[in-house]
Amino acid sequence: MTSTSPSSDVPVCVVTGASGWLGQNLVRTLVTGRERVRCLVPDADAGPPLELVAPNVETVVGDVRDPATVDTLFDDLGPRVSVFHAAAVIHPAQRTREFFDVNVGGTQMVLDRARRIGVERVVHVSSNSPFGANPTPDDRFDEDSPFNPYMGYGQSKFEAERLVRQAHERGDVPTVVVRAPWFYGPYQPARQSTFFTAIRKGRFPLIGDGSQRRSMVYTDNLVQGLLCAERSDKALGNAYWVADATPYSLAEILTTVRSALTDEGLAVTSRSPLRVPRAVSEWAERVDRLLQSKGRYHQAIHVLGEMKDTIACDIGRARDEIGYDPTVSLYDGMRASIRWCLDHGDQL
Amino acid sequence: MARITTEVLVIGSGAGGAVTAARLAEAGRQVLVVEEGPWFDADEHEPFSLPEMVAKYRNGGAQVALGNPAVAFGEGRCVGGSTEVNSGLFHRLPDYLAEEWQHTYDIDDFSAQTLAFYAGQVEAELQVSTLPTAPPPSSAILEHGATKLGWRNVEFARVYRYDQAGRGVKQTMSRTLLPKALAAGAELIADCRVVKLLRPRADRGRVVGARCVRTHPDGGRETLDIQADQVVVCAGAIQTPALLQRSGIRHNIGRGLKLHPTVKIAARFPHPVDHGDVPMHRVTEFAPNLTIGGSASRKGQIAMALAEATHDIAEPLADWENISIYYAAIRSEGSGRVRAVPGLTSPLITYKLTEADMSRLAQGLVHLGEVLFAAGATELYPSLVGGPVARQLGDIGAWWDRSTRANTNLMTVHMTSTVRMGNDRSRTGTDSYGRVWDVANLHVNDGSLLPDAPGVNPQAAIMTIATRNTEHLLSNL
Repeated sequence: MTSTSPSSDVPVCVVTGASGWLGQNLVRTLVTGRERVRCLVPDADAGPPLELVAPNVETVVGDVRDPATVDTLFDDLGPRVSVFHAAAVIHPAQRTREFFDVNVGGTQMVLDRARRIGVERVVHVSSNSPFGANPTPDDRFDEDSPFNPYMGYGQSKFEAERLVRQAHERGDVPTVVVRAPWFYGPYQPARQSTFFTAIRKGRFPLIGDGSQRRSMVYTDNLVQGLLCAERSDKALGNAYWVADATPYSLAEILTTVRSALTDEGLAVTSRSPLRVPRAVSEWAERVDRLLQSKGRYHQAIHVLGEMKDTIACDIGRARDEIGYDPTVSLYDGMRASIRWCLDHGDQL
Repeated sequence: MARITTEVLVIGSGAGGAVTAARLAEAGRQVLVVEEGPWFDADEHEPFSLPEMVAKYRNGGAQVALGNPAVAFGEGRCVGGSTEVNSGLFHRLPDYLAEEWQHTYDIDDFSAQTLAFYAGQVEAELQVSTLPTAPPPSSAILEHGATKLGWRNVEFARVYRYDQAGRGVKQTMSRTLLPKALAAGAELIADCRVVKLLRPRADRGRVVGARCVRTHPDGGRETLDIQADQVVVCAGAIQTPALLQRSGIRHNIGRGLKLHPTVKIAARFPHPVDHGDVPMHRVTEFAPNLTIGGSASRKGQIAMALAEATHDIAEPLADWENISIYYAAIRSEGSGRVRAVPGLTSPLITYKLTEADMSRLAQGLVHLGEVLFAAGATELYPSLVGGPVARQLGDIGAWWDRSTRANTNLMTVHMTSTVRMGNDRSRTGTDSYGRVWDVANLHVNDGSLLPDAPGVNPQAAIMTIATRNTEHLLSNL
């Protein structure tokens, strides 16, 4: 079991959130070398495109909160199964209740079925949000940082992590938690196209002086991290930060995306980015808190409220303990993302 | 107006008051207990029946914490308080909560070891025990369903004494500690409501007694002033803060009400289920945030439970002998307030549930549905307005979205935390032993002192803490 060679890979994988941003990338990696990839997708339209990826993809349509659906997802899988639990709500349509229903309730449902069939491992996709923001731009979260959940999403992912850890500690199912920050990469949702468009047109707000740092993770890097978490014996019961090699300043992210857009042949405005005082982001955070205290959610206000913060992590432990080694740089990853958008007809 | 004088006045005769009275009386103190509700003969009502609940709960059990959704609650109002009418489950306060509370509220001498010492005394005195025989079908259903799903479950100990045939009698306060207190010289006046505590104008830092209204068997009322050196308020987490507020004591009093919001399912089986007892098994797989158990399920309660899910109760009710009621209770992030309103007998009670609470309740309903189907149920009637009634596992996923604030019917019988104990005056109403801040001889000794909801039936925690506090009071008298 200590080998990390593909020949020892667990032959059957279950992927929740398979039609999401991360899931699409993960499934495309798993289809090579695994006998079966059983995918949970939330609606019937999402099934056929995934099944076209490879003949060993199987889809189950339904809700991760629904016991009967999750029973079907875990039915008839054979003796050796890994689970990648990537289903979650990050931007609910209206109510913060969805965070808890899906991120907590869904995780409990998946852990329970994983225990019942005796899977070899559950790799749980978590987030930076259970940790809030770094106190200074130079601070980095590591695996010993204290929990400090940021609003409804952060609280729900914190509770989910707690369930996952409990399931491991009481011997129900072996687990590993992978904490991923802001993604970029192919199969991005529409909101990320808006991000590129805003930068191209000079409308993306640079909050304060732009020195706040952000860890980001290219989806291929993250997929590699998830596979390391699945394969490493040392990972069992632990949680790891998985991100690009280093955090970036927000100014650096904007500059890099501008270069990538230009080099993909897109005209980028010569205007300098929209500078917005930090107070605007602080105001947005207060409004977001007020809305969320009433159970309501507004995506743009939430995102604006977080823009002032440094949210940066140190991937040292994932490198040392599970062999994670991010290979894609910000520039290359952004170019690939932009190319994917253009190839798929997105107007940036 | 009549006047009585005593050394210690204990207000309320439930889990907190009975412990206080018995300990003090046995230590030779002069004790008078006043109880607002009546003194029923222990065998007068059929256990867990609707008539018993109507008689022994305040307002016949129809009380509500206002909010969206509202939470219906039951609060004992009789000699023995809620111990007369509850299921008698006795579960020690989890060690980790004792440590958390000790730390958060800066409570002296509140270690897990200290509490275990007093819990052991209470358990021995009340004969806390598990069943000597196989569990009744209604309880075995939970054990069977949970075991089938691989979910942790346990038979909770109860305050029951069993005879040789295995017949159990619940060791309520009116059967145990109150007779002990009386045997040791304490006096008890039932049907006697305390209107307010008496504090001299010149010295607001003391109480001198309480003004009561006593109702006589013929319906006549008289005002009764009781003078006391020490007053211990044990009227429960709703009435205790209301009384303190009516008496002008308000610092951290009545805020932070905690309860265990509870959803229910009436489950129909293809075979008869017993109805004489309440299930003693609990599903602890999702504890402490979520606990699954069984409720009193006489015909009356079944009719009420069915009516929550469907208008068409005639057909299932005809089959009531095959139906039993189960619940899922959560630890809630939300909190509430108790406010005495001048001129009104009842305080105004409000409770706010968070979105996370609502989600946890929906989760509870779904897991409860799973375990009941696993146990062989054929039809499930959830406490959701308009259901839907579930006939197979595939039907219960719909409950997630149906569990809205408008549709969810909630109840509870566990109310705590409206006073709170500990050295941190910014968040407590009393010191570490229940003495009310700035009033030298006034104490609280009931569920109001628990800093948070315990996640389990609170009777054990209330009695354990009350024992500890009474020992401390005795050492200072």
